[in-house]
Amino acid sequence: MEAPPVTVMPVTGGTINMMEYLLQGSVLDQSLDSLLHRLRGLCDNIEPESFADHELVYLLKGRQGNPFILRARRSLAHPTAPWHLRYLGQPEVGDKSRHALVRNCVDVAASHSLPDFLNEMGFRMDHEFVAKGHIFRKGALKVVVSKLSRALVPGNTDNTEPLSLSYLVELSVLAPAGQDTVSEDMRSFAEQLKPLVHLEKIDPKRLM
Amino acid sequence: MQQREEKQLEASVESLISRVAHLKNSLQSFIYKLENEYDRMAWPSVLDNFALLSGQLNTINKLLRNEKTPSYRNQVIIPLLLSPDRDEELAKLTEQRVHVFSHEIVPDHLRTKPDPEVEEQEKQLSAEAARIGQEVAQKQIQTLNKLCSSLLEKLNNPRDDRDAETSAVRQNKQWFNPIDTTALVAAVGFGKGLSKCRPPASVAPGHPGQTMMTGGPTLQQVTIGPSGHQAGIGSSVAQQQPGQPGKMPSSIKTNIKSASMHPYNR
Repeated sequence: MEAPPVTVMPVTGGTINMMEYLLQGSVLDQSLDSLLHRLRGLCDNIEPESFADHELVYLLKGRQGNPFILRARRSLAHPTAPWHLRYLGQPEVGDKSRHALVRNCVDVAASHSLPDFLNEMGFRMDHEFVAKGHIFRKGALKVVVSKLSRALVPGNTDNTEPLSLSYLVELSVLAPAGQDTVSEDMRSFAEQLKPLVHLEKIDPKRLM
Repeated sequence: MQQREEKQLEASVESLISRVAHLKNSLQSFIYKLENEYDRMAWPSVLDNFALLSGQLNTINKLLRNEKTPSYRNQVIIPLLLSPDRDEELAKLTEQRVHVFSHEIVPDHLRTKPDPEVEEQEKQLSAEAARIGQEVAQKQIQTLNKLCSSLLEKLNNPRDDRDAETSAVRQNKQWFNPIDTTALVAAVGFGKGLSKCRPPASVAPGHPGQTMMTGGPTLQQVTIGPSGHQAGIGSSVAQQQPGQPGKMPSSIKTNIKSASMHPYNR
């Protein structure tokens, strides 16, 4: 068998233990322009970036316990750009004093052979989707407004169908563990987006 | 009597000079900031600077309008001594702007008409104004008037617009749909509703609902193992490639298993 590509995945440990603080919400298609307009006013004064990404979610199922999930993303707009591999830990809801969902987060850039490599390791693709939208920044805060679509034919990103009549809105910050003060900033930012979007900490376990 | 007037004049000039010096200092520091710190200057501090300048200009205006200030218009300045030589004292007083007090520059500096450049610009403008015909000018004036009046109207009635806006908001208060939020979050979180991306061909006949159910158990219960080693018995539906009935495919294969096997079950 060929030697696997040299893809370093500092999944656990590592020197930097970054956490992702997250708030989620959505906005109806017809209110999108109002939201983008407001974000352009609130966020850093740089041209908002647009993106079109294809995300593949891979599972590694052990003999027992939870499967290990990795998310591979590639840009449809820039096919030559590196792939993006992301590990997300179990989200912690925490108590009322913390205003955002917190989860472990490891981001790695990867080469284009990433899907093959994951397959060789025993990972299998679970599902995929296409996300198209806009990114805004305000300091460390990142706001992603995106339309999610499912692929009607697996692997074919040209033939997609929107998942709903809304755009997903995510407000996130990457910070070292224990810096719960960032959730304060996030909450005050989220306040300014009302009533267009209600950004909340949504426990995914509740939705299952 | 004359002496008192002179004293008053002197005092007022003195205070005017000091006010102008203040204004000059704040202008200088503002310009310095704009040129050197424009990348980290916050809007409020720019506004503060403007407020300071406008305050200082106001004080100067007040000073000039003050009853005690003699009318400078009535004062006449006569150049008593012209010299083509460099005057260090004058250069120092004018911050190196004027070095000589000669017949060449004095008329410009002591003139009561606008600066020569301004005068030149004014000439150009009046020449241009004379060039366009009476009718065109009239038309332009009308357009400008129309624009101004509509702008004024808008500025004077901001309330109407605002009320209209809020009523629009009230009418159309549905900006987002909580159901969509839940669906989208579930989709990015664990692929709920994305199961349709599986090829319909791989659905075992007789169980079409199993993969097509939205948010149904299919995707969350799909476990993917190498070469069907985990093929469930009894409760599981082993999927087979349509072309190879009954034969274990050698390639990787998808198994739909019972809910109890999967961590994502309800």
